[in-house]
Amino acid sequence: MSCTECLELLGPYVDGELTDARRAEVAAHLGGCADCAGRVEMLTGLTQSLREGLVRYPAPDLLEARIRASLEEPRQSSRTTTRASTIARFAVAGVLIAVASSAVTAVAIRHGARDSALEQAVLSSHIRSLMPGHLTDVASNNQHNVKPWFNGRVDLSPTVPLLDSLGFPLIGGRLDYVASHSAAVVVYARRQHLINVYSWPTSRSDAPPSTVSEHGYHLVHWRASGVELWAVSDLGLPELDAFVATFRGAR
Amino acid sequence: MSQREVARFEQIVLPHLDDAYTFARYLLRDEHDAQDAVQEAALRALRHVGGYRDGDARAWLLAIVRNCCLTLQHKRRDHEARHPDDAIEMLPSRAPATDARAIRSSDRALLERAVAALPTEFREVIVLREVHDLSYKEISRVTGAPLGTVMSRLARARERLAIALRPTQEAG
Repeated sequence: MSCTECLELLGPYVDGELTDARRAEVAAHLGGCADCAGRVEMLTGLTQSLREGLVRYPAPDLLEARIRASLEEPRQSSRTTTRASTIARFAVAGVLIAVASSAVTAVAIRHGARDSALEQAVLSSHIRSLMPGHLTDVASNNQHNVKPWFNGRVDLSPTVPLLDSLGFPLIGGRLDYVASHSAAVVVYARRQHLINVYSWPTSRSDAPPSTVSEHGYHLVHWRASGVELWAVSDLGLPELDAFVATFRGAR
Repeated sequence: MSQREVARFEQIVLPHLDDAYTFARYLLRDEHDAQDAVQEAALRALRHVGGYRDGDARAWLLAIVRNCCLTLQHKRRDHEARHPDDAIEMLPSRAPATDARAIRSSDRALLERAVAALPTEFREVIVLREVHDLSYKEISRVTGAPLGTVMSRLARARERLAIALRPTQEAG
């Protein structure tokens, strides 16, 4: 075998893509040719550094959640229960928005690692909740159904103001788990948008509302009377601020 | 879509999601674009899973991912052609090496950079081979290129990488 012929086969040789007969021919040539043998050594080294050095990227949880949501959607749409279908419609809208927004990802937020991780957890939970069937454990537009449902399920009795007349109908409530907190979540709607209000007990002192915006989602965070609260939505920020002000002012 | 198709999708496509995302990351060199491409690929796979016949599910999915990536890339190119100021190539910068760990991570960054700098048709074969460990036949199936073309592209990709990586190898 000539060097020219051999050089052609060195890649397949290193990749284990040659027939046994071909492989033996190349091996025989390599035994007597330092140039080609050196080349094999280089190729092997290169392959090894690429295999060890190149990163494998795990698919982000949110991507998988978005894909799973697109599986659920057609199954859900065949159901016709009135309350469930209303919620499904909101949820589907939410999912479509999540899908359409190209940048719904676990992006690092650039302040305070602890709060940033918490924001991310709240946002992930919000997006998960938009999948059909995940939004509410108790679906009701009556605060007297929603509020008592939380009794014995979480360590606080969440505020469930009725804001219908202000354009924020109550959708229901659910139990969620956010960054190792059992959270009471009260769900409101505004047109086709959903607002999740998370609350759980905290020992930290009161804090006025502060806002973080993350690729089309807004998170408003505050603490009052030993309760940590997060309101999350893809609603425009002025409307979400108005909601938060109304929510805080209501009894 | 039937329950059966959804079940098939869960069984055939979801196990290869990490592969799909990794391949898209290397093709598009952008995490957001990669997520969009994989999302789109999953939707296409879902539509066609009924027609999928038993075989190599991973190669089948990667071929779909590749098509979605190329479509997205063409859209971006059109956009960049109209808005040339947006066309800034983002590649990892090389960190100065100070200790053993930093040297290793800078080697890694250099590898990533060398691979990112390859033209797409070379980059895809090298990634399918070295990251996904696909055989030539599988690479041919994913890229739609004949075996001979796969072989010559791999060889040329390796030539370029060997040149790009030479300085560290001598220093190392």
